[in-house]
Amino acid sequence: MSPTACLAAAPALTHNTLVVAAGVAAVGCAAGVVGSLSLLRKRPLIGDAAAHTTLVGVAAAFLLTGRRDLPTLLTGALVAAVAGLAALVLVRRFTRTRDDAATAIVIGVGFGLGIALLSGITARGLPGSAGLEQFLLGHTAALTVRDAVLLAVVSAVAVAVVLLGLKEATLVAFDADFAAATGWPVGLIDQVLVTLVAVMVVVGLPAAGAVLVTALVVIPPVAARQWTDRVPTLLVLGGTFGLVAAIVGVAVSAVVPRMPTGPLVVLAAATICIVSLLIAPRRGWLARRHQQVTLEPPPGMRRLR
Amino acid sequence: MADAGSSAPPVVEFHDVTVAYSGRPVLWNVDLTITEPCLFGIIGPNGAGKSTLLKSGLGLVPLVHGTARFWGRPLADVRRRVGYVPQRETVDWDFPVSVMDVVLMGTYGRLGWFRRPGSRERSLARECLDRVGLIDVADRQIGRLSGGQQQRVFLARALAQEADIYFLDEPMAGVDARSQEQIFGVLAGLRSEGRLVVVVHHDLRTAATWFDRVALIDMRLVATGPTAEVLTPDNLRRTYAGQVDLLQEIGQAVAARSRTT
Repeated sequence: MSPTACLAAAPALTHNTLVVAAGVAAVGCAAGVVGSLSLLRKRPLIGDAAAHTTLVGVAAAFLLTGRRDLPTLLTGALVAAVAGLAALVLVRRFTRTRDDAATAIVIGVGFGLGIALLSGITARGLPGSAGLEQFLLGHTAALTVRDAVLLAVVSAVAVAVVLLGLKEATLVAFDADFAAATGWPVGLIDQVLVTLVAVMVVVGLPAAGAVLVTALVVIPPVAARQWTDRVPTLLVLGGTFGLVAAIVGVAVSAVVPRMPTGPLVVLAAATICIVSLLIAPRRGWLARRHQQVTLEPPPGMRRLR
Repeated sequence: MADAGSSAPPVVEFHDVTVAYSGRPVLWNVDLTITEPCLFGIIGPNGAGKSTLLKSGLGLVPLVHGTARFWGRPLADVRRRVGYVPQRETVDWDFPVSVMDVVLMGTYGRLGWFRRPGSRERSLARECLDRVGLIDVADRQIGRLSGGQQQRVFLARALAQEADIYFLDEPMAGVDARSQEQIFGVLAGLRSEGRLVVVVHHDLRTAATWFDRVALIDMRLVATGPTAEVLTPDNLRRTYAGQVDLLQEIGQAVAARSRTT
């Protein structure tokens, strides 16, 4: 193969690639912003339950419509994610199952059902079904410019909703009892937050896949928390870390053939997170290890030597 | 006009309140009326339902039976006029907010949806912080405060609500003596401004000196009225009877064990 042929075979930095990368970057950013709020509300696993039920929706949308364009499949995924979260609420309300056990049940049943449906579809080689399995681990190479624009618009709306209701969401996350006592509809505010998480999980599917997309909502905010003691800064850093992780994942998978995007995005996010946990000032492992234990004497008392 | 005072509805009225957690009753048929602004203590042993009574008034726990009314009206009508200080342990003090941020939350009820605190709210919050002696730590993250300072942050947030009734849930728990005095000073100030302050409290010694009126609660109302008339040995025995029995049981069990070994 001549060098020129080799170059031509490598995925070029076309206009298309760049637009897709920008769309996925927007998703990573919005996932970090929404995830920061969900981290503050201490419900990081809500996204996991939603994510693992999305495959059912992808498969069902394909079977019902026979189409495999992104808007159709993601609409199915969103319906399934919301149904999964509703199932979670029902299991908790009508049985005496604990939160974590109920989440595990929804994840297991949803994922099992989704894999069974997808395997059935691909095993029968139904026309047009090729590529559906990419929703498992994520693969951005097949995205069109229109897909990328859709992802970016949904991400922008999610961020706008967060910024609009930041005061209310922070209040509920910090002190739900005080919020309820002062008349705020805590249940409604929680539902909006959970819906935002479900939406981010769904638009994150092409980038990270059903198995790993939760990491996009959880890991960048955890990394961001290491660096700041203020909510607005947390959102900015969470969004930035998510954006960087998404770009790294898309870029590497564009260069390495047959490499799914999901693991790369998650590994990039995990790297940022580990570095943050280690070296962040004050909260980081190193800082706490070298922290001098200083005891302030009570007023009027001499400092002990 | 002579009978205006006697016909005015009581500031707070719990009528026949019964509350249960998952089928197990914690409060039985409590009737409690507070007719006028004062410093009011709710006293009783652990698990007596003192906090539950406060929360039932604020709509935070569902009533199996009964009503709670403020100036004769349901809470929904007068929510802006009722301030609340929850127990300190109910929140995560590692939360990424500053002292100032938390106090500003007291103004959110009046601000309503989507409006952010402005300069009026900030200067009000600074006043409230000054009143509880925390103006110097306004920008500090709330985790880097002592227990007494954290409790005073919660008090300042309630002050920023500019309410006429204050409900405080164990504001003295785990608080140093200096913060306790400071907190009670602020509460006495609220009373002298004509506001009602209702405090869930567990320490009998301080209760006798600080409160104008008290209610003794042990799942039901044992007694209520002026502090000196209510805190009698007889009433206290009836309120803490359950615990005396428990102590005797433990004592007997220990004695029985030491006999067998």
